[in-house]
Amino acid sequence: MSKSEKKIVLKSLDNEAFEVEKAVALQSQTIWVMCEDKCVGNEIPLENVTGQILAKVIDYCKKHAVVDGDGDESSEELKNWDTEFTKNMDQSTLFNMILAANYLNIKSLLNLTCQAVADKTKTIDEFHTFLNIENNFTPEEEAQICQENLWAFDD
Amino acid sequence: MASSSSSSLSSTSLPPAMEDGEYGNWAELPPELTSSILHRLGAIEILEKAQKVCRSWRRVCKDPSMWRKIDMDNLGDLGSMGYDLEVMCRHAVDRSQGGLVEIDIWYFGTDELLNYIADRSSNLRSLRLIMCYPIADEGFVEAVVKLPLLEYLEVTYGSLSGESLKVAGQSCPNLKTLRLISNPDPKFNDEEFNDEEALAIAESMPELRHLELFGNTLTNTGLNAILDGCTQLEHLDLRKCFNIKLSGDLEKRCSERIKDLKRPNDSTAGYPYGFNISDLTGPNDYYCNDYDYFDFGDF
Repeated sequence: MSKSEKKIVLKSLDNEAFEVEKAVALQSQTIWVMCEDKCVGNEIPLENVTGQILAKVIDYCKKHAVVDGDGDESSEELKNWDTEFTKNMDQSTLFNMILAANYLNIKSLLNLTCQAVADKTKTIDEFHTFLNIENNFTPEEEAQICQENLWAFDD
Repeated sequence: MASSSSSSLSSTSLPPAMEDGEYGNWAELPPELTSSILHRLGAIEILEKAQKVCRSWRRVCKDPSMWRKIDMDNLGDLGSMGYDLEVMCRHAVDRSQGGLVEIDIWYFGTDELLNYIADRSSNLRSLRLIMCYPIADEGFVEAVVKLPLLEYLEVTYGSLSGESLKVAGQSCPNLKTLRLISNPDPKFNDEEFNDEEALAIAESMPELRHLELFGNTLTNTGLNAILDGCTQLEHLDLRKCFNIKLSGDLEKRCSERIKDLKRPNDSTAGYPYGFNISDLTGPNDYYCNDYDYFDFGDF
């Protein structure tokens, strides 16, 4: 295999191109299948991911490719890296990372980002506020939720 | 109603990627992704918070697949949390529609609750009773005979007799893991030396692979019986079992037979429940403030 065949170009929704090692990109099952199909050249268009998010996904894949391949970093170090990776992500980035991990089919990244959202919501009382979701219940549904709420003490 | 935007989402549809700086539209996340996030929360967080967020989240929270595992973990501040965990737990069990596989109950629970669960969950594989002080022999025995598929049983700081454990062993032939965690503080043990539990395990649980007897009062007699009876045992945790004297033939037997042996004096670092009263109470001083609660619970 020549040197150029080891590289692959990923193109984001907003036409940003990233040249990465094939081993890094192939952690995505979606990309793996695309490469297997041989119906794409050296450049793979990813229509659901922006450049900003793709850059983060590639960071993650680079980190994990090195570790999986060479075993030169302990799983403890990798875990710490993962924690730092998601620690300061705002909810919008997390949201897009989850969609990207799902679309690209990278299971460990999907687990990591879903866990990060769960951990952040655990520490707060109001999910609505953190996630900026509008409560869209009908009055009937609101009533049903209250009715179900038999475990609440009356005081 | 069926035409609401959130209900039209199929599992394959993908919301379009967003411009920088916008909020994520969490309500329109594909349901399997919402489910993947919510599965990482405890039952109390799901019922008290997540299901009240919006319609699509509520739909995910009502799906029986959300309730194959119920973790009733809480801070132990039962008096001040504002809701009745027993009622909540029953509601969670109802939502599982018979599909419950794992349940963890922390700091509460009665014989009635345990039987409510057992009557509706014949597929239960894992039952963890953590500091469920009001649960007594009679209720436990009545429930456990209805759980023939149980593979994992934990009783932490409970007060079950050897006879009850024997019934569990006889009723649950697939039991592979038993965690029987006692308070090693001598003031919580009526008898200094007692092999009753160990003998019950040895007699009734031949398929055990993993046995934790933290803080147990068993002696070398009980341990020998377990090695005789539980021939498949691979992991054995005897930390804080200070009546065991591991030496000579017994030590040799243990080392030869058990792949992963923890000895009475091994470090308890990393142990989930701590091992003395101050570790156990944590930030809520559960033991000290609510001690009367347990006395009432027994009546």
